[in-house]
Amino acid sequence: MSAGSLPSGSQVKDPGYPTPSENYLTNSKGILSWLFTLDHKRIGVMYLIGVTVAFGVAGLLALMIRLHLFQPDGMIFKGEEANNWYNQVFTLHGAIMVFLFIIPSVPAALGNFLVPVMLGAKDVAFPRLNLCSFYLWVFGALFFVSALCASGLDTGWTFYTPYSTTTDSSVILATSGAFILGFSSIFTGLNFIVTINTMRPPGMTWFRMPLFLWATYATSIIQVLATPVLGITLLLLIAERTMHIGIFDPEYNGDPVTFQHFFWFYSHPAVYIMILPAFGIISDLISVHSHKRIFGYRFIAYSSIAIALLGFLVWGHHMFTAGMSSLTTIIFSALTFTVSVPSAIKVFNWLATMYKGSISLTTPMCYALSFIFLFTIGGLTGLHLGTLATDMHLHDTYFVVAHFHYVMVGGTLVAFLGGVFHWWPKMFGKMYSEAGGRLSALLVFAGFNLTFLPQFILGSRGMPRRYATYDPEFAALHQMSTWGSMLLGFGLLVALVVLLRSLKSGKRAPANPWGGATLEWECTSPPPFYNFERAPSVGDPYDFSDLEWDAEDERYVKVEPAREIVPEEQPEAEPVHADDSK
Amino acid sequence: MFATMNNIPYLLGDQFASKFTWFPEQASTFAAENDWLFFLITWICVLFFIPIAGCLFYFCWKYSKPKGQKAESNTAHNTPLELAWSILPSFFLVAMFVIGARSYLNQRTVPEGANNIGLKAFKWGWTMDYGEGIMNPELHILVNEPTKLSMRSSDVIHSVFVPAFRAKKDVVPGRYNYMWFEADVASEKVSAEELEKAKRQFEMNGGGVWDYDEWQFTPDGYRFFDLYCTEYCGKNHSVMQTAVVVHSTVEDLNAWIEKVSKRPSDQTPEAWGEKLYNQRGCAGCHSLDGSKRVGPSFKESYGNERLLSDDTTVRADEDYIRNSILYPKKQVVKGYQPVMPSYQGQLSDDDIASIIAYLKTVSDYGPKAAAEVPKAEETTEE
Repeated sequence: MSAGSLPSGSQVKDPGYPTPSENYLTNSKGILSWLFTLDHKRIGVMYLIGVTVAFGVAGLLALMIRLHLFQPDGMIFKGEEANNWYNQVFTLHGAIMVFLFIIPSVPAALGNFLVPVMLGAKDVAFPRLNLCSFYLWVFGALFFVSALCASGLDTGWTFYTPYSTTTDSSVILATSGAFILGFSSIFTGLNFIVTINTMRPPGMTWFRMPLFLWATYATSIIQVLATPVLGITLLLLIAERTMHIGIFDPEYNGDPVTFQHFFWFYSHPAVYIMILPAFGIISDLISVHSHKRIFGYRFIAYSSIAIALLGFLVWGHHMFTAGMSSLTTIIFSALTFTVSVPSAIKVFNWLATMYKGSISLTTPMCYALSFIFLFTIGGLTGLHLGTLATDMHLHDTYFVVAHFHYVMVGGTLVAFLGGVFHWWPKMFGKMYSEAGGRLSALLVFAGFNLTFLPQFILGSRGMPRRYATYDPEFAALHQMSTWGSMLLGFGLLVALVVLLRSLKSGKRAPANPWGGATLEWECTSPPPFYNFERAPSVGDPYDFSDLEWDAEDERYVKVEPAREIVPEEQPEAEPVHADDSK
Repeated sequence: MFATMNNIPYLLGDQFASKFTWFPEQASTFAAENDWLFFLITWICVLFFIPIAGCLFYFCWKYSKPKGQKAESNTAHNTPLELAWSILPSFFLVAMFVIGARSYLNQRTVPEGANNIGLKAFKWGWTMDYGEGIMNPELHILVNEPTKLSMRSSDVIHSVFVPAFRAKKDVVPGRYNYMWFEADVASEKVSAEELEKAKRQFEMNGGGVWDYDEWQFTPDGYRFFDLYCTEYCGKNHSVMQTAVVVHSTVEDLNAWIEKVSKRPSDQTPEAWGEKLYNQRGCAGCHSLDGSKRVGPSFKESYGNERLLSDDTTVRADEDYIRNSILYPKKQVVKGYQPVMPSYQGQLSDDDIASIIAYLKTVSDYGPKAAAEVPKAEETTEE
């Protein structure tokens, strides 16, 4: 059989296209139908818009940081208050990126849209809680904006005491915002745990779930278990600031390192809130676009859970130089190394999935490849930081900055973009320009590396973090980094334009443009507001054997052999037992 | 900025020509071991990264197929293979951990008889305590002898980082942290002519704070290693730097200590006060030109009425200034935060008297300045 032709005599299964009254985007109109919607898909879209705006703001702040660092004495901010401006900009860049973008990006925006559809369900378990968590996100964002408008925030996104208890910037407003955002995150996590536990369709056992659901489940566990600790910590910080309860501030017999313990007990698991969903996306993307069964399903699924649990035990590696006892420090170093194993397993499994596959170099696949490359660098450079002796030199330098940007941007952001490009046809029913999408992937990849590779060398040469001005010997590498950041920004802009243009002039998307075997590809693009007319039959999420490419309509379809009734003729004689009743 | 477009080839050349180094100079006993371990880990990473990236691109090229073609294989798993790639890398991890932890323990165990120097960090500067009331922002140590720093902070968390020594430790308020290192490269001394030239240039530029980056040696003519603050501590975090000078002999070190310990007999209190103003962290918060920084400006400060935060007023006389240096949180000028650290025990009486004498020179109320400054330039009081 040649590629692109459907086997003759077989039956094609395709849901077709939704009518405007079915389409979840158009079935009800008006701004209120969006603001008060309980439809998980519309909430997902609202989240998508929200996190994109947050990302845009924080990204512009990042460009300001890089432009300022173009010259050793600072290029943008001048005068007596220059350093204060710089400190506020890098603080807001970090806080907005972490709390308003990375944490809700994949779980809340993509997760909301996908989890029920992947389960063949009509909605999440608690639709009202879902809307509530979106509005909590909005309120949290408003608190951040008001902190910005009041007197700014200059503590760094980590709010380290006693700096945060003594500075006169709006710490209380910002921490209240983070506190509210924490609840948004907890509600989303709780909702997904209940949804995945109780609403899986008949036949979908734990090990027949798409890996994106495994990753979402693991993420939700962390969100529910870790985020309350952040809430408590931030409340204590507010209490310390207003009432001097003497827990963090040494002036009142507190210990500032206690704050770091509390803070990182949440914020290290939060790193896995950020990266685990990305793993889930990449597992699905690699498998679908290689048209090959995922390799080592169970190892990938278990490693997500292992990362979620081990992630709770390694927070101390943020404090190797803070003055913990040598024994504690060494134990945290050992635990830190254990967490690298499950991440490595995933990378090997993805490569094995590509081996002997049938790879389509589509835009989502380009992002997924870029992810593997960048995340591997990010993960491997973590070894330099987990090793105690080398960390003594590299701690709090640009090496750390480069390392976590490779994981957070090269990892989470690139996976998020890959996921958006992958599910965009499903979400909005439009195909984007493949050439434009691939170009954006290439630009983002090149710009990202040009921005952050030099920072590794800056770090090993001893350039400290969070410096508004620096010694002239670091200038050349900083300038390379700044040029790279502009290329990265341009690449991201191209991605945005490609996606937005598709809404206006994109081709209508078929139900299954990539050949995915999970349930979301079995409903129309975009899905009807009720998702599925009747609960779909659950197959193997990674069995691509019955999916065929239909070149005529540029779509993948499920093909079933033609069915015939055997025997064709009606038996003539009545069976003997036919008149049993007599 | 766009002018530097033309410099891009030069930038790349600078980075990748023979001058390229990963690390600053190795100047302590830790450095060689640390760098060796860094490169060991880096090579292990390369060992893993090259095959991963290689497979990634090779598979893309080799197995890229038009749409509709089926995968050549659909192997779901291979348990021995998966166990192998889960367990084998762990040996590398254990090796890194063990070497790193042993070397770390060595860095945390202070040898007997190490020279003890106190370090006090504050926003935004350092004071090294050489004992007997001798304090200076520069860290001066002896070559080939272990030095222990006992560190405390008077306000927020700071962190001591000497890249050339590959050593770092946070300075946390409310506790004493310590670190030690043994420098094995002595700082050179620049020639007397060069120092003389720099000093003339410095005077011509109007004095002020010595720019270490510009001259690349200390005011006493020593080459130095950078000491940075690496824990974010607020506005002037990025200029919270000082110099580490490694002396080759005890005599040389003692001579330097002798020189900085007290006001030389041939120096006026005003000049000594100006030096202290620039060296001991005053200049970071108190301007001389009337501009508002973290603290009130010293211009027109002496002798004027000050409105305090409790709405009382006080005249900034000698006693007020002395009290503000020793008990800075008691009488805070309205509009400012009580953030200044106390200098109790850190400045001698002569030092404080010198600072007061210097403050008089920048105020019209100062008797000396009053004689020099023409009355016409008198500015209105705030």
